[in-house]
Formats: sequence, C-alpha cells, structure tokens
Amino acid sequence: MIREPPAFFHRGPSPLARVTFFTLAAIAFMIADHRFHALETVRLSLSVLSHPIQQLATMPGEAVARIADYFASQDRLLRENRDLRAQVLEQSAEAQETRLLKSEVAHLTAMTSSNGRYADHGTVAEVLYAARNPFTRKIVVDKGLTHSIHAGMPVIDGSGVVGQVTNVGTFTSEVTLVTEKDQSVPVMVVRNGLRAIAVGSGKDGSIDIPFMPVSADVQTGDVFVTSGIDGTYPPGLVVAEVTSVQKNAAYVFAKISAKPAAGVDYYRYVMLLPQPAPGAAAPQSKPEEASRKSARDRARARRSP
Amino acid sequence: MRSADLTPVARDVMKGPASLGLIFFSLVGAYLLAVMPWSGGWLLARPDFVLIVIVFWVLHEPRAIGQGAAFALGLLMDVSDSMLLGQHALAYVVAVFIVQVFRVRILAFGFAEQTLHLLGVTMAASSVTLLLNLLLGSDFPGIAYFVSPALTALVWAPVNWILYSSAVRRRRRGASA
Repeated sequence: MIREPPAFFHRGPSPLARVTFFTLAAIAFMIADHRFHALETVRLSLSVLSHPIQQLATMPGEAVARIADYFASQDRLLRENRDLRAQVLEQSAEAQETRLLKSEVAHLTAMTSSNGRYADHGTVAEVLYAARNPFTRKIVVDKGLTHSIHAGMPVIDGSGVVGQVTNVGTFTSEVTLVTEKDQSVPVMVVRNGLRAIAVGSGKDGSIDIPFMPVSADVQTGDVFVTSGIDGTYPPGLVVAEVTSVQKNAAYVFAKISAKPAAGVDYYRYVMLLPQPAPGAAAPQSKPEEASRKSARDRARARRSP
Repeated sequence: MRSADLTPVARDVMKGPASLGLIFFSLVGAYLLAVMPWSGGWLLARPDFVLIVIVFWVLHEPRAIGQGAAFALGLLMDVSDSMLLGQHALAYVVAVFIVQVFRVRILAFGFAEQTLHLLGVTMAASSVTLLLNLLLGSDFPGIAYFVSPALTALVWAPVNWILYSSAVRRRRRGASA
C-alpha cells in the first residue's frame, strides 16, 4: 500500500489558493460594508484597539501647536480679543431678537401641536485632523459614542454648515464635508424662498446646485440656507453663497455653483447639532398617508447610514 | 580560482529567526508613522509604511507572517484611514502574494534592483485601491496619487537597513552570549 510521505514542513494551502480566499473575503467585507453597513462592530472594535496608537501619533503635532499657542504674541491676542468683543456686541442684539422670535414661534407651534424644529444646543467638538483618505473629504472630531454622538448629526461652525457626521467611533467621529461629492443638503434661497438641493462637487471645495430650471430666480451673491424639509438639518443654517450662474438656453438646467459659507478647510472647533425630532418640520398628515409615509421612512432608514 | 577558504563569507548566513517581538513592534512603529496627521499634499506623499514593513517580513521571515496578517493589518488601515472596509486588505494581500511568488528572485538582487521590484509591488497595491474607488464612483485624485507608491518603494532601503541590522544585531548578541 502506498502511503503519502510525511510532511516535513507543514506549508498549508498554496499562495495562489490563499490569495483567492483572501480576495474573496475582502470583496465580501466591502459588499457587507458598502451595501448593508453590517460591519460597524468590526470597525468600532478596531478603532478602539488603535485609539491609543492614534493618540500617540497626534501627540507631537499637538505639542508643537500648544507651544506655538503659548508664545503667541500679546498683541495678536489683544487684537483678537477686541474683535471678538465687537462681534459679541453685534450679535447680542440679534440674539435678543432671536429669543423673542423663538418664544413667538414656540407659542405658534404650541397652537398647531407640532414639535419644535429649531436646534438650539449642540456639542462643541475639536477637529483632530483631516481623514487620511485621498478619495473623500472628511474630518475627524474628538467626540464619539461616549458623548452620545450618532451618525446623521449636522455639523456647523461659526459661519455655516460644515457637514454631517457619517461614522461614529468610541471617542472620535468622522464628519463628511458638504463639499464632498454627492453629499447633498436641502436648501432654499433666503431672498425668495426658492427650494433647491445643494450637492458637493467633490473638487476644489465648491458646491453645485443642480436641476434648477434656466428660468429660476437665482443670482450671484444669493445665500442658500437649509430649508429643514429633510428632517436632518434644522432650518436656517447658512450653507453656501452663489458664486456663478450660467444660464444657457440650449440646456434645460442652469449651471449654478456656490462656495460654502463655513470655513470648510480651516476651522478648529465645530458644533455637532442634535437632529430635529422625527417629523418635526412635516405638516400633519392624514392617517392613511401617515402609514404609507412611515413605511417609506423605514425603507429610507435602512438605506441610509 | 580561490583555494579552499573555509571562513564563512558572512557571519549571518545561517540566520536564526527574527523574534516575534521585533516583528510586532516594527509593525506597531509603521502603523504609528502611518496614522500621524497627514493631510493635503502630505497625504498624497505618505509612504505606506505598514505595507513596506509587511513586505520586509514576508521576504525575510516568510513563515512568520503571510497573507492572513496582511489582511488583518489592511482592515486596521481601512478603519484608521476611514475607507471602505476591505480596500487596504485586498491591496496588501495582492502585494504579499506577488512578493511570495517572487521572493527568492527579489532576495537575489541588491538594494537598487529590489527597490525596482518593490515599485512594481506598491504600484500594483495602489492600483487595486484606485480601481476599487473609481468603481465606487470617486473622482480620480490626479497623477499625484502615484507619488505615494513611488515613495513607498524608495523607503525600502532605509526600512531594510533599520530592520535588517536590528535583527542581525540581536542575533550576533545572542551568538556571543
């Protein structure tokens, strides 16, 4: 009887078999992550594991920044202080007016028995670094699950919308910028209330407003604010200012590009806003419509992260 | 022809295996370099330290580290670079496969030729990631995208010098003790 010779060196499957197996595994991972968002636990546990090393890696940069801050000239600090004080004075009048308006709105909404829709308290977060990914525009901030951050929260800075939280880790979370390709925000023109959708162009940090008819009343310099109809962004946040409008009668749609209001590339602190209560901005719907709508909402919730 | 000279050509021809600790800490060090806050142009120029260290150990300790470790480290890089899970994993596995196939051939060359071989390996790995992202609808980040794999191949010589000499030093110390 012929027996197989004993294996002196256990070698396992051949490299080709292994590479086939691991390629299939990687593709399975990608499909699971991209289509079904099924690997959040893997992502979360790996990010917890690597958190100490990541912190260690950002330490030298932070130390340099701290030292630079410490030696910042007295003169510059004084000037900054004076400017900020002037800004506070300017804004305090607006803030008082807003308080009045808010109470009026509260009275009115109490009468119509709908939920509040303006977000007024958020979580301030520090921007840690831009995500190391040459394909997308994301930033990483220092608040995560432990600070009850969740995916979908809008992110603003002092002058407008920065983006949206798209991925939450334990201590950090990723914010996709409004200038990222296919990142869309429902907006309206402040001047005339015209509704539109602002879509990030993905290049040179600008925002496009697609699908606006050539006859639409949009001019250079118009300011787009969030309209709030999506239930994600509270209404009234400044998104972008129109920089150019090209109307060519040969095309159905005008070509409108805008520049983001927020300093999308140079901020240090941002604010993460809670999402408005579900259905906050939606009008009261009829019962049969409501059941259909909730089914649609569920389908959408499945699709979106 | 030389007469029979029985002194060994090099002292480390019969080399013992590198310690698992050295492999582990070199990978941790590479990861540490990779997750420094690179951004903008620096990001496009960031050499893939983790890949080059994996390739080093696959070349020199093929029984200690292989495609499984490359896959796991790739997943880790995907998480820390906030990419789709599996992209780096696939790229690393492909790179390690190429290195495994050409291992003996690559080791027969000097540093310059090895760097050229590794340029092919890193380009292949980067092209895998690029193709995947283009398939997923990203824009082409420009020809500057290939600066990173080129620099990855260029850091081969210093990485080799650091890791090889530390591995050999450890062995010599062990031999003299």
